[in-house]
Amino acid sequence: MTDLAPPKILVVDDEPQIHRFLAPALEAAGYAPLRALTGAEGLRMAAERAPRAVLLDLGLPDMDGKALLPKLRGFSQAPVIILSARDREDEKVAALDAGADDYVEKPFALAELLARLRAALRRATGAEAPPEIIRAGPLEIDMPHRRARVHGEALHLTPREWDLLAALARAGQDKVVTQRQLLVAVWGPAHAEDTQYLRVYIGQLRQKLGEAAGLIRTEPGVGYRFGESA
Amino acid sequence: MAEAEPPRPDPDALLALAAREHRGRLKVFLGAAPGVGKTFEMLAEARRRAAGGDDVLIGIVETHGRAETIAQIADLPILPRAALHHRGQVLEEFDLDAALARRPAILLLDELAHSNAPGSRHPKRWQDVEELREAGIEVWTTMNVQHLESLGDAVARITGVRVAETVPDAVLAGADAVELIDIPPAELLDRLKQGRIYRPEQAQRALRSFFREGNLAALREMALRRVADRVDADITGWMRANAVSGPWPSGDRVLALVGADPSAESVVRHARRIADALRAPLLALHVEGAEPPEAALRLAESLGAEVETVAAHDVPGAILAHARARNATHLVMGRGRPALWRRLTGRTLSAQMARRAEDFTLHLVPRPTALPRPRRAGPQAPPWLSWASVPLLVALATLVGVATDGAVPEGALGMVYLVPIVAAAVLFGPWHGLLAAGLAFICWNFLFLPPRYTLVIAGPQDVVGAVVFALVALLLAGTTGRLGQSMRITRARARGLRRLLEFSRRLGGPGGLPELLPAVAQEAARAMEGPAVVILPLPPLGPEEAPEPVIRAANPVDAQPDEGAMAAARWALRHGKPTGRGTDTLPDVAWRFLPMRTAHGVVGLVGIQPRAPDGERDRTLAGLLDQAAVAIERAQLMEEQARGTARAETEQLRSALLTSLGHDLRTPLTAIRGAIETLRASPALSEATRDDLLLAAEEETTRLGRYIANILDMVRIENGQVVPKREPTDIADAIEAAAGRLQRTTGRPITREVAALPLVPLDPSLLDQVLGNLLDNALKFSGPDGAVRARAWRDGHDIAIAVEDEGPGIPAEDLPRIFDPFHRASRTDHIAAGTGLGLAICRGLVAAMGGRITAESPAFPGGRGTRIVMRFPV
Repeated sequence: MTDLAPPKILVVDDEPQIHRFLAPALEAAGYAPLRALTGAEGLRMAAERAPRAVLLDLGLPDMDGKALLPKLRGFSQAPVIILSARDREDEKVAALDAGADDYVEKPFALAELLARLRAALRRATGAEAPPEIIRAGPLEIDMPHRRARVHGEALHLTPREWDLLAALARAGQDKVVTQRQLLVAVWGPAHAEDTQYLRVYIGQLRQKLGEAAGLIRTEPGVGYRFGESA
Repeated sequence: MAEAEPPRPDPDALLALAAREHRGRLKVFLGAAPGVGKTFEMLAEARRRAAGGDDVLIGIVETHGRAETIAQIADLPILPRAALHHRGQVLEEFDLDAALARRPAILLLDELAHSNAPGSRHPKRWQDVEELREAGIEVWTTMNVQHLESLGDAVARITGVRVAETVPDAVLAGADAVELIDIPPAELLDRLKQGRIYRPEQAQRALRSFFREGNLAALREMALRRVADRVDADITGWMRANAVSGPWPSGDRVLALVGADPSAESVVRHARRIADALRAPLLALHVEGAEPPEAALRLAESLGAEVETVAAHDVPGAILAHARARNATHLVMGRGRPALWRRLTGRTLSAQMARRAEDFTLHLVPRPTALPRPRRAGPQAPPWLSWASVPLLVALATLVGVATDGAVPEGALGMVYLVPIVAAAVLFGPWHGLLAAGLAFICWNFLFLPPRYTLVIAGPQDVVGAVVFALVALLLAGTTGRLGQSMRITRARARGLRRLLEFSRRLGGPGGLPELLPAVAQEAARAMEGPAVVILPLPPLGPEEAPEPVIRAANPVDAQPDEGAMAAARWALRHGKPTGRGTDTLPDVAWRFLPMRTAHGVVGLVGIQPRAPDGERDRTLAGLLDQAAVAIERAQLMEEQARGTARAETEQLRSALLTSLGHDLRTPLTAIRGAIETLRASPALSEATRDDLLLAAEEETTRLGRYIANILDMVRIENGQVVPKREPTDIADAIEAAAGRLQRTTGRPITREVAALPLVPLDPSLLDQVLGNLLDNALKFSGPDGAVRARAWRDGHDIAIAVEDEGPGIPAEDLPRIFDPFHRASRTDHIAAGTGLGLAICRGLVAAMGGRITAESPAFPGGRGTRIVMRFPV
């Protein structure tokens, strides 16, 4: 089923001047923007209008963005991109852990926001059946056989290294994965805070990936992304 | 039988042990006479310790040229002596500061009783030793038993030599170890004859005077007994500390009665020895007279007595009351120098005490032999003046008599002469009264009693009159004189108390240190009738540094202790003890520094130039110091608290500023960037959208600019960089300008109500900024059609300017905080939010111009409206 109407994008932000430029910008990029000034209004519109994606400002006057996310996830799987400030590191990570898909920092470049939005929408549409073989640049990941190759040459990965690479790849191209999410997926919930494991294993993995090391990108203080840069 | 509770260690004994643990140890090599080999022994033992690896340093060792002693020094390190310049002479003395800096494990300091050269920090070497021990350095020293303070009299009787250099008994008692260096007198005399102690001609002289076998035997006995007593005391102390029950000393208490006569010091020493023998605490009491025996009381203190002074008329009664109150069992007193008539009538103090002190053991101390009369401490007016004024008073009465001669019978003229007697007795004391009585009788007899101009008394009734006159005069002189004396004491005390009361009232005031310290200086100066300074410590820079004394107040303002005196102040601050003139530390400087102490330590010093000792004045000063100490501590705590609050406010402001910068800078920047990118990247936008995006970018730029200007204003205000240029300003004009401008830009009406006002000295441009800000706010909050009004009127001594709106008003809980930086009105009403700085800037600018700003809300009936009022004093 394909929807021919422009995809609806809900923008939740309390600053009118943000809506003032985002609305024409989203329209020009082929989306249909919806605007909400408060968290409550945002939830109501998300429920009524079923947007394909949500751009969410964390500093809302009536409701903390972290409180809004679980409520939204209660009825919608639409990808959420956080609009946040660089000095609110903890807030950002908490929102990602709570189910947000990505983030951009204010003042953001419009091009970057649109690229993130496209990636999120793409992941959302293909999410139902993850491919058996994931390719990115020179790297080829064979999920059923638990094998990875660079330029056709097999890599010798330990089980942990494989799990880590697979977790990153499974999340989707260019999707940010928080440290906590990776730790829980690979080491289990008991090790959710042991970020030093990640530093060690990501280092080893990059070394083995050689030429393809650049596919694992660090988001300082947040987590990692997998894939060729957008 | 019930089991007895197990004995517990005596807390006092344990405390004494604990106090000793942190101090350096003191070891005394005690001998009976020079030449017994104290120094030799000390050096020998020091070398043994040095060989064992201990850091031993020789501070001072006097070899007296004895070859054996010199040989013992061998390779022990010797501290160089300090050179002191005193009246053109260079004196060598032990270098206390060098020793403190060098910090040896063991310091050898010969001759504990030595008096230091003038200009040293302490007058006595034993005081140097105390400071060294305070600093944790172990000291070894030597002394001869005749230098012990309490043995002074006994030694003088035995040897005929009064020893000037003495050491308080407490020093020896506080020693951790006493080693007796003993050789039999015969052997010592042999050594002397062999010239091993003194050079031959000196030895001859010594043999004839001091070194007689009898002398030496007596001194040796004293030394042996001292050490034996000590061993005893050590055992008792050990028994108490370890809760060994045993024969306890009886509950004796010895009270020394310190009079104002020359035997006072001798009484104190005797009492000390009796107390030592009984192992009883020593008390000392002085019943107040005209001249308190300062020296004897100080001596009593140095001998470890608890000293008290009481004022009373009935001296024996007061003594007995005190003795009973303090549970004294032994009273020690001297014979004094009672007046002849007292001796004849048996009314001497000792006789009265013997009669009345039935339940006490009374010790009468022998009269000291050939002691010089003590110098009289001069009262304020020279004494001859008071004596000279007695004949004057009598002459005055004579003049009155001559003037009324013939009008009254000569018998009544005698009454006239009673006046100068009473006056002299009341003003100066009983002795003056007696002189006046004698003079008056002679004048009366000579001039008025027939036969006139002879000293012969004619008629029998005149004889009776003369006798009655003489009796009345004597009685009057005696009783009124005593009355006058106690009145003077009472008055002086009342004056002191009044001063203290006044002072405490002043201290109770709200002022901080800047008002308090000059008050303390002024009060101290008044109490001492001389200059006074108040010194507070500057906190030390490092843990090893001493706190630096800084003069914070002086009265008169140019009073300034010199550099030498400040050294005394430094020492007083560091050790919390009085220094300077009249004390044991640096007594050569002109000032005395007294610490102001509270429970938490020394808060500062008061420096005075001491005068002749005066009990009343010193007591007043002591009370003043106590009060000042507490008040200064309180003021310092308050300042500390205020600083803490200010710091917390600054912290809060800083974090609010950061939050605000994060939000208020980022949002317009995001909007501007987004608008421009959209314009560049999307060529297909409609003309209207393009215009709107351009307009948005322009508006956000303006907003950003205003925000940055606000931040800069705030920073300038916070740093105190806003200096208003005051000039006579017409308020009506200023309101007109600001309101007119806003009317033009917003197109909304602003009502003006301005009374006729004088010109006010304000900065017109700052006032314009404030008015503009307030009116802009009012327009924003009153809604699109709300009325906004600017008013100005005269309010008492103030000019008031108000800006009113009819908006929803300010919630009561926000009202106290609306002038705080970064406080924002709650944003539920969708009013364009400002930076949260507008009102804070207004407050800063108004305060810079000397005014106040307040907010009232609701300003109108019906719970609506806000009124911001500025008031400027005219």
